[in-house]
Amino acid sequence: MTPHPNADKLVLCTVEVGAETRRVVCGAPNARVGLVTAIALPGAVMPSGMTIKVSKIRGETSEGMLCSEKELGISEGQGGIMELPVDLVSGLELVAALELADTMIEVDLTPNRSDCASVIGIAREAGSFVGRHLTPPVPRELPPLVADNLPFGVQVEAAEDCPRYVARLLRGVTIGPSPWWLRQRLLAVGQRPINNVVDITNFVMLEYGQPLHAFDFKRLAGGSLEVRRARAGERLQTLDGVTRDLTPEMLLICDAEQPVAVAGVMGGANSEVNPATTEVLLESACFNPVSVRRTSRVLGLGTEASYRFERGVDPQLAPQAMERAVRLLCEITGATVVAGGVDYREGVKPRPTIDLRVSRTNELLGLHLDGDAIVHHLSTIEIPAVKQDAQTIAVTPPSFRIDLEREIDLVEEVARLVGYNDIPTSLPMVPMSFPEQDPGRLMRQRLATVMTAMGFYEAINYSFVGARHCDLLCLAEGHAARSCVPLLNPLGEDQGVMRTLLLPGLLENVRRNINFQTTDVRLFEIGKVFHPAGDVQPHEKLHLAAVLTGRRQPRSPMVHFGGVLVDLLDVKGVVEAILESCRLTQVCFVPASDGELAEPDQFIRLVAAGKEVGQFGQLSLKVAKGFGIKQPLFYLDLDLEILAALPPVTTQCQPLARYPAVRWDLAVVVGEEVRVGDLIAAINAAAEPLVEKVELFDIYRGKPMEKGRKSVALSLTYRSNERTLDDETVGAVHTRVTDIILTRFQARLREV
Amino acid sequence: MEAELQHLQTEARADLAALTDAPGLEAFRVKYLGRKGLCTTVMRSLGAVPDAERPRLGKLANDVRQDLEAAFAAREAELATSQAVSGAVRPDLTLPGRLSPFGKLHPVTQVMDEVCGIFAGLGFAVAEGPDVELDYYNFEALNIPPHHPARDMHDTFYISDSVLLRTHTSPMQVRAMQKAAPPLRMIAPGKVYRCDSDITHTPMFHQVEGFLVDRKVSFGDLKGVLSVFIAKMFDAKTPIRFRPSFFPFTEPSAEVDIGCVICKGVGCRVCKKTGWLEILGAGLIDPAVFKMVGYDPDAYTGFAFGLGMERIAMLKYGITDIRLFYENDLRFLAQF
Ligand SMILES: [Zn+2]
Repeated sequence: MTPHPNADKLVLCTVEVGAETRRVVCGAPNARVGLVTAIALPGAVMPSGMTIKVSKIRGETSEGMLCSEKELGISEGQGGIMELPVDLVSGLELVAALELADTMIEVDLTPNRSDCASVIGIAREAGSFVGRHLTPPVPRELPPLVADNLPFGVQVEAAEDCPRYVARLLRGVTIGPSPWWLRQRLLAVGQRPINNVVDITNFVMLEYGQPLHAFDFKRLAGGSLEVRRARAGERLQTLDGVTRDLTPEMLLICDAEQPVAVAGVMGGANSEVNPATTEVLLESACFNPVSVRRTSRVLGLGTEASYRFERGVDPQLAPQAMERAVRLLCEITGATVVAGGVDYREGVKPRPTIDLRVSRTNELLGLHLDGDAIVHHLSTIEIPAVKQDAQTIAVTPPSFRIDLEREIDLVEEVARLVGYNDIPTSLPMVPMSFPEQDPGRLMRQRLATVMTAMGFYEAINYSFVGARHCDLLCLAEGHAARSCVPLLNPLGEDQGVMRTLLLPGLLENVRRNINFQTTDVRLFEIGKVFHPAGDVQPHEKLHLAAVLTGRRQPRSPMVHFGGVLVDLLDVKGVVEAILESCRLTQVCFVPASDGELAEPDQFIRLVAAGKEVGQFGQLSLKVAKGFGIKQPLFYLDLDLEILAALPPVTTQCQPLARYPAVRWDLAVVVGEEVRVGDLIAAINAAAEPLVEKVELFDIYRGKPMEKGRKSVALSLTYRSNERTLDDETVGAVHTRVTDIILTRFQARLREV
Repeated sequence: MEAELQHLQTEARADLAALTDAPGLEAFRVKYLGRKGLCTTVMRSLGAVPDAERPRLGKLANDVRQDLEAAFAAREAELATSQAVSGAVRPDLTLPGRLSPFGKLHPVTQVMDEVCGIFAGLGFAVAEGPDVELDYYNFEALNIPPHHPARDMHDTFYISDSVLLRTHTSPMQVRAMQKAAPPLRMIAPGKVYRCDSDITHTPMFHQVEGFLVDRKVSFGDLKGVLSVFIAKMFDAKTPIRFRPSFFPFTEPSAEVDIGCVICKGVGCRVCKKTGWLEILGAGLIDPAVFKMVGYDPDAYTGFAFGLGMERIAMLKYGITDIRLFYENDLRFLAQF
């Protein structure tokens, strides 16, 4: 190592890298002869993205870079380059030297098995399945802690909140980096080493599943701790630097003056262990799961500790984890432990014995085990079980299995131990009964069949939409559809409210399809809309909506039908087909001009039994534009709740006609204001028994008729059920019908 | 006379063979078989032959005529066929057909109908419940009290403190059991909601929940019913395995895997190289749920299961992005 000729703070180092030597410029204060450290060679890419190159630094060549832990992304670093154990062989890759290349086993832990949120828990569980027993790092049975003459004290306000609290004091602590083995283990599970004391508490938590907390004892006012609920107005700056308002339901650890930790969640900055700390008060406690969960929710703060406490921590674990941590602290930080300690355990209740019935177990699982077999199975996972009689087994769940509280919990253990896949398969013997179908579902299926038969594809949209949809639809203030049920926690503004109409979703779908050059679109959706109904559940109503736009014959090439576009009568035909298939022929079509969503004169309201059951029309150009649709689009919307309540028109089979029909035409010239539907209705209203059917077959405008008039040609079918009609009979009826038209509509016959 | 007839027959047959088109056929018909054709002429001349010869020659003349008529019909048919093949005005049958419009059901609906159909075949009733549920039915009555960590498994959309978008269709279990006494066999299909959105999660998806309650229903029965379902839904040879799991409303609880339908168990991207696909969650109904609805947990047992429709549709059709289901792009919908 020689000084840099051109810079005071830099040195030139000769670095041994395996068999080679490299010349490296370094500015670290801890660079010294004999140091074993990490070097990044030319070509290496650093976590920052920088690629190491041979370069000149102030005129001196540097063939690599000596690295700090921070630069390597291993930890926040102590300032200066890494200091590695001197017994490492030079030239090893760092990953190999630190044994960072490891196998990761990811465990998907269900919330009931908090005992397995630790290495020891997993080891015990795995051991039971391979017939091996766990050897814990410290004995399970430890001598009781004596609280005499302690230089500190602990008060617990309520045993229910804090069933157990173990605390011990360590003196002569030297804060510093942890030894390599410890740092490497934390790194392996993705935790950043901080300092020896914090690392040990984290390590023991991962090993035992018992969260620990280290206080700087000298910073605790009055040298004592109290576990109590927060008082109104109390605040605490937690270790993450955030100052938090505390509410009376939160459990705190306090010194004589103020809160120093949120129990089971996070410590406070005011008592944090720091480089100057020499005395550590170590906490190993058990807190109420519901209390910790509630606090963690309210604070929006989830930690490794709160995760474990929420799911429940074995209260018998506290002294074991304490002993393990104390041993490590003494070994690693040079501390000595003050004799004795606090072990508050008022809240620890003995586990009751559970009676497990042999017959019940067999009945539930479909097995034929005897008592001895069940006892044996349970013993493999350290669950003590004793046969009371042939039918009953007394089971005392071990303290670490806090999830075992009821007979059924033990039945599950037996099932797991037998092996789910080894339980024989059977089929239930149940009395026969008719499986009722959901009426809404049946209606949906029937309508979906009609819709697909008419060329519509089924769409499914989210039940929530953006509130701005009402504006895009140009709905008037106070429109019923504007009154929506909002979500408290939507994923985004465009999913903020429950839909009150199906149409917005379908219009978004149309826009998307047109954007991707599919311009012939027929979509329908049958789904629920939601209307507020007080502060309980909203009223959910099934609707059918459909949109159609583009060519009338979308599936056939242009050669067959040309490019004729759909119009209002196409959507009218769809509605007629729906009503016919549901036998709801009593629904009336009422043309109207006040459709908010429709173009003027392109809107029909469907009315039955005095109620509006739906509507259809051409979407107003303004609304279409709002949804980015530039081509004419027709929609329909049916309220299936009302529709389903209508009595279907019952059908009686009619005998087939035996006599031939006669067709006579009637062509009349009427004013443009006369509606064809009214002409046909007038003929039907005359109730002539021989008139079987009235069909429109032509409408003609132009010469020789004057402007403002049109010719309407109707074809009337006459038939008798008793005889073949002669011209005279038909003629008489036809004249009566003609007269009705001529007089009522100021029509004249069209000369052919 | 006899020679004349033979000559007529030979000549006519030669003429017929030489014909190539419809006008030729017509000319032949007129010349030989018409009202004034040669056959008629010959027949007429029968009057001139001696009486003794007349029956024999008459029959002969008739035979010739019948032979020529048959030959004519055959040739006519022959020409009609060959003309269709080689004629100038053959219709182009490669033209696309005139298709009436028809649409299709959404793939999720198709899968849901199939699932419901299988369980309906096993005698399960079908009932739907509200999408917007009470906290009580979605959680509490299913043994998930407030502040239970299992609530973390459900990212819930709330309407108010006590009203939410159901996170599963399991509330129907409780609603059905409150309404009727066992035995009960029911499935509840429907939409469910979780606040989660990425390539494998949409905030709304579809689930079918099923349950059966009676005396002496066992875990083996659960396995049996699900095995029947999987054999019908996928393939009778699909391997199945049951893994222990945890749901607050069932115990024992299981997750059910099927052998990967894509790689047949060899290991692929979809099954994350395991050869298995998780397909549903199930278990025996927890006695706590029975207590909530007033059933005697010692008298009755039952099982429940729940499965996601999108998951099944994705496996069935090889769909890799769940969001495709809710874009309603016709290029997607037309594929199923
Ligand atoms: Zn696979």
